[in-house]
This record gives sequence, structure tokens and C-alpha cells, in this order.
Amino acid sequence: MKMSQPFIDPAMKDKSAAPVLPDRDAILAGLRGVIDPEVGMNIVDLGLVYRVDIGATAVTIDMTMTSPACPMGDMMVDAVKAVLDALVPPGTRTEVNLVWSPPWDPSRMSETAKKHFSW
Amino acid sequence: MKPLPPLARLPMLALGVIALVVGVLAGLARLAVVVPEPMAAQAGAHGALMIAAFLGTVISLERAVALAGAGRHAFHWPYLAPLCAGLGGVALLSGLPLAVAQALFILAGALLTAGSGLLLRQQAATHLAVLAVGAACWLAGNIAWAATGVIPNAVPWWMAFLVLTIAGERLELTRFLPPSPPAHRAFLLIVGAQLVGLVVATGFDGAGLRLFSMGLLALALWLLVQDIARRNLRQRGLTRYIAICLLAGYGWLALAGLLGIAGGFAPGSPLRDAALHAVFLGFVFSMIFGHAPIIFPAVAKVRIPYHAVFYLPLALLHGSALVRLVADVATQLAVARAAGIANALALLVFIVVMVASVVRGRRT
Repeated sequence: MKMSQPFIDPAMKDKSAAPVLPDRDAILAGLRGVIDPEVGMNIVDLGLVYRVDIGATAVTIDMTMTSPACPMGDMMVDAVKAVLDALVPPGTRTEVNLVWSPPWDPSRMSETAKKHFSW
Repeated sequence: MKPLPPLARLPMLALGVIALVVGVLAGLARLAVVVPEPMAAQAGAHGALMIAAFLGTVISLERAVALAGAGRHAFHWPYLAPLCAGLGGVALLSGLPLAVAQALFILAGALLTAGSGLLLRQQAATHLAVLAVGAACWLAGNIAWAATGVIPNAVPWWMAFLVLTIAGERLELTRFLPPSPPAHRAFLLIVGAQLVGLVVATGFDGAGLRLFSMGLLALALWLLVQDIARRNLRQRGLTRYIAICLLAGYGWLALAGLLGIAGGFAPGSPLRDAALHAVFLGFVFSMIFGHAPIIFPAVAKVRIPYHAVFYLPLALLHGSALVRLVADVATQLAVARAAGIANALALLVFIVVMVASVVRGRRT
């Protein structure tokens, strides 16, 4: 009789064998390569990235746009997803959500961005 | 509901481009350039094809894409605005009764206003209010045209549609700069003055058009000072190119304001061709040249990588528009005709450069 293969929960595998997900800083560093061409600055320093969630097998990003009238939302989401997919090991699920609450405001800009805009 | 696939958006864009091509040739016919008879027959509809059919379609399409990203809307209804505007252009060209085209443009204007109102309800921000008022001006112009049967009655409202749409989008980006309550108040005062001027101008009152023109001049100066474009001149590549398009456009808006103050927007004025084309060609098309490389990819999901050749159609546009302005003011009709042909060539070169860039973007 043929024995079926035992089910192995991926989480139960030897941790040293599991692919290592990049940490938050590595992900943000990657996302600094996504530039808003109208402004000439990256989306992280502009304060458009609201949440980076690194789970066991998935990375989820919540991001916004400065205005709901901007048609570039989909394009930005695709660009962020492409960066994420290049950063994480194969098989990792990546998800990018465009969120509108709370609305973006200038206080979300980094010190680098504020300095650039003469705050 | 899933977003409308880019392929489904392209037919609407195609309707807009048909209106653009026929509209430009119809414009050349007005300058006594020999064009094929079906285009020459549209000479009287030049403004409607360029503004209501072409710009109305592309602006509504851009807003519909934004609305789809900003929330879920049953039946993709925001896309009905560009569809109606595009079909309005087709109705104009196909010889259907004029009322059909006018009804389609009114419907498109109402849908764009409704969609813009939804964005404002989602986020109560000044720039979204300005966009909504701009959309309402398009609707008002379309109604004025249908009610009176005279396109010049719609033209000031159509001008406000485009000027306020652009001003609203630029106001939004000034939020990256340190807030300036006096500048914000000045902006509101300028827009308010334009709207009062428009209402007073109903029935071609010269004082109303002059007040509106003062608003155009003041807005141009406000944008030259407050817009992030000046700061972006120090950047490189696409960001710098967009900044140059914007600043050159603001120069045209200021010129339009000056010509309008001199009475140039009044029907029958010898400055009318110069004044109208300062706004609709110099200002508006400079914005289109600047933003097509980022808006077209957002609508059609293609890449348009920046290339320094983008400056070629831009230089042609501004050079030929300037020659046309001088020729108009100096009543040198033959020169104005040649400049008009060069205006059309600038648009053609721009389209060729954009299409070539899309092809280049697919290869890289």
C-alpha cells in the first residue's frame, strides 16, 4: 500500500530553512525608489505609505494618494507591488491597498521632504 | 467591482482623438487653409470639437479613473461622462441634429459634476471644490450653447472649466509647501472674481469679461509664485520637463488675461483669436504636453519613459503659438495662417513622440 506523504505545516518547518522576509526598513528603502514624477520625490518621504505589515508569509502595504482626484492611484499601487515582489522571497504573498482614511495631510511628510520644500 | 480594464477605456480616448483631429483641421479651415471638405464643413464647430468633445472626453476619463480608485461605483457610471462627451463629438461629425450632440455634452457635464461632487463629499478640501466648480462650468457652458444655439455664449464657461480644473489640481500640490493662509485667501478671491465675472458676462457684458480676465491674470501670477513648478526647475528629467510646461503655460495664461482686459474675449474683437488661443492653445496644451506622460499611463496602463525629445513638440507649440499671437495682433493673416499650420504640426509631432515613447516603454 502506498503511504501518503505526511502533511508538514510550513510554520512547523525548521526556521533556518524558511525564507527570510525583508524587514520594515528594507521594504521602506525599496519603496523610496517609487517616485511621484509630478513632485520629484519618493512616496515614503511624502508620507503616502501608511502601514507596512510583515506577516509569516505575506507583506501588506496600505498607501494613499494626496488627493482622491488623482488618477495615478492604480499605477502607484502597481509600482509598489512590483518593488515588493522583487524584495520578498518567491512564494510570499504581497498585497498593496489604496486607502483614503485618514486623508493625507502635509504633517505626514518626513523631515527630508519638509526640508526639500523649505518648511 | 473590478476596475474597468484599460482596454475598455481606450475606445473613449479614441473618440476624443477623432474630435481632436477633425477639430484641428476645422480650425485650419477657419484660417483659410485648404483641408478635406468634411473637415472644412466643421469649421463652425471647431471650438465645440476641441473643448467639449476632445478636452471634455479626456478630462472626464481622467476623473473617472480617479473615481474608480477612490471608491467603488456600481456599473462604472463615472465612465459614462467621457463616453457621452466622445459620442457628442461623433454626433457633431455625423450630421445628426445639433440638439443630439448638445444633449450628450450636457449629460457628460452633469455626470462629471456629479462625480466631482462625490470626490468632494469623500474629502472636503478646497482643491476638490475648485474641480467640482470647474466641472459645473463645463455643464453651464454646454447648457448656454444649447439654450442660445451660439457657441461664443459657451466659450467663457468652457474657459473657466479648463482654467479651474488646472488651478484645482495645482492648488492641491501647493500643500507640499509651508501653508500660507494669505495665499490661500488670495486664491479663493481670484476664483471668486472669475466666477462673478462669468455671471456678469452672461449676454456678453464687457465689464464681466474684463473682470474674468483680471482673474485669469491674477491666477497666472499666483501660480507663477505659489506653484511647486518653480522649485522643480532644479530637478531633472520628467519632473523638470513638467515644470517647464507649467511655467510656460502660466505665461500664456497671463497673456490671455492681458488680452482679455484689452477686450479680446468680446465676440468681434480683432484680438479675439489671439486671446482665445492664448488660453486654449498656449496655456491648456502646454498643460497637456506636460501631463500626458503621467496621465496617459494612468489611463491606459502603458509606460511612457521620459526622453529629452519631449522638448521638441513643446518648443514647436510655444514658438508657433507666439508667432500666431503676434501675427493676430498685427493682423498679418498670411503669417497667422502659417503659424496655425505650425500649431497643428506641433500637436502631430507631440502625438508621434508619445506613441513612439509607448513603443519604447514596451521594449524596456
